[in-house]
Formats: sequence, C-alpha cells, structure tokens
Amino acid sequence: MPTHNFQIRNPVTILLTIFIIVLSLDPVSAQSSNASVNIGELIGILLLIFGVLGVIWGLIWMFAYPIFLLYALIFSGKNLDNMILKTVERERAIISKFGKDILSNIDGGFRKDVISSGIVWAGAVYGPSHWHQLLGKLYNWFGGSIDIFQKVISAGRAESMQRLREIAIEEGWDEVINVRIDTSPMAPAAGRKGIKAVEVFAYGTGIKYS
Amino acid sequence: MVQDVEGIIVVNTETIPGKLITESFGVVSGSTVRAKHIGRDITQGFKNIIGGELHKYTELLEESRTEALSRMVSDAIARGANAVVNVRFATSAITPGAAELFAYGTAVKIE
Repeated sequence: MPTHNFQIRNPVTILLTIFIIVLSLDPVSAQSSNASVNIGELIGILLLIFGVLGVIWGLIWMFAYPIFLLYALIFSGKNLDNMILKTVERERAIISKFGKDILSNIDGGFRKDVISSGIVWAGAVYGPSHWHQLLGKLYNWFGGSIDIFQKVISAGRAESMQRLREIAIEEGWDEVINVRIDTSPMAPAAGRKGIKAVEVFAYGTGIKYS
Repeated sequence: MVQDVEGIIVVNTETIPGKLITESFGVVSGSTVRAKHIGRDITQGFKNIIGGELHKYTELLEESRTEALSRMVSDAIARGANAVVNVRFATSAITPGAAELFAYGTAVKIE
C-alpha cells in the first residue's frame, strides 16, 4: 500500500498538543521555582481568548452577512452570465483554432500513429450565491425545474471542460480521448448546513500523434 | 505532471495506444483527505455568499488529486509496474471544508 505521512498541520491538533504539554508540566517544580502562572490560570486565559475571538467573529459575521447578501442580490445573476459568456468565448476560440473539439468520449485509438499518452485533468468548484440558494428553496416548494442551480452547475461543467482543453494544449497533447466528467458535492467549511457548492471534474487521456 | 516526474505512464483508457500490455499487477490505489486552513475557509465562506467560483477550493482539490495520484503511482512502482491503465477518480464529502480524493487503476507492465 502507499505510504501515508501524518503531519501536524491542523490548528486543533496544535492547540491540543500545547494543552497536553502544559498539563504534563510538573506543578510541584513550577511552584518551587516561584512561577507566577499556574495551570488553572493558563486554561482560564486560553478559554477567555477563545471566547473573545468567538464574539468578535460573531459581530463581524452579523454586520458583513447582510452586506454580502445585498451584493449577491444585485450582482450575482449578472456575474454568472458574464462567467458563462467568457467560458463560451474561450471555448469558441479554441474550437475555431483547431477546427474541431479536441475532447472526445471514445475509448481507444482509431489512429495507429500515437507516440505518447498520459492523463490530464481539470476541475472547478462552483457554488450558487446565497441569494440564489434562497430563490432555489422558494422554487423547490412549487416544484418543477430549478433553473438557477442548473445554470450554476452547467457553468462549472463548461468551465472545467474548457480548462481540460487548455491544460491539454499547454502540456502538448494533440487530442484528449476517453473524457469522463464527474460531479461531487463540496461543502465550504464556513457554511452552516447542507451542501453549498459543487465540484465538477473532467479527466481524460491526452494523446500525441507522430 | 505525474507521468513525467515518475517516468511511468498513467492513462484512463483500457489500453495504451501503441503499446502492448504483457503483465498485470492488480488494482493500485491512493487516497488523501486534505483541508485548507481556517483563514481560507473564512474567505471562501464569504465568497460563497456572493456566488461564483471558489478558487481556493479548486486549488485544494487539485492539490489533493495530485497527491492521491502520486500515492497511486508509488504503489504501482512498488509492485514493479511501469504503467497504470484505466485510472478512475472518486470524491466524497467527508466533512465541510475537506475533500477525500481516491484514485485507482490497474498496474501493468508494458513493452
């Protein structure tokens, strides 16, 4: 099996480590050396710092959230349309340059003059704005198609396929065969409940002709 | 990319065009769970409110995919293979802000 390296990079792990080190210090020797701070006080200070940080964060969130939501209400639809337009433009530029779409879904070669091959992949994480999520919830009550979410996901899909084309050209492949497109939920850590974003991932085998 | 660094061919087709597969070493796999630090999570949380692409999470998934793929490749090398065919990726949302990436394929020897 592959080797797995375990590294301490998580802040919680680091804090727990510090906590355990503090606890493992000998209180008797600390008293004998006339240390001014004991363990109880240290824990109290740590808890206080956490509490203050939590309150500050809550205040920032309380004031910033309505502003961001208002921004989303006004601009998110326009921004999404612009993103789709840009992706389509890049796609057209590449297709007109090569005369055809370099991605294809077929497996294997109909041409025998392939000299090298290798995997290429590209992904994009797209999420609907909170305003769109609110609208989506509203649409969900009435049923039918929820076009806003469909738009976001297809924007992500077009973007990741376009990135696959660009990366393949950058790495020097002539064509990409056996393209697979995968979609998976990706929840941002700061989000509350549920899935708020989706990751679209495209991969395939780049081939080069002699 | 991976195939240049490790010197072994990685493809997601069943065969490698122009090469002959002579021996199979079974399924090789590599997986990883990665997360971004809390500052990035906060900025991405704000970005999610206004919608659009979450660039740092795209980056995170790219890093973790590279890691999973390189673990898979080192597994293949340990088995004495010089190519991995029919590679597939799987993703699962184990916890918010983190991604579990899994890459698997068949290690083979080619001529």
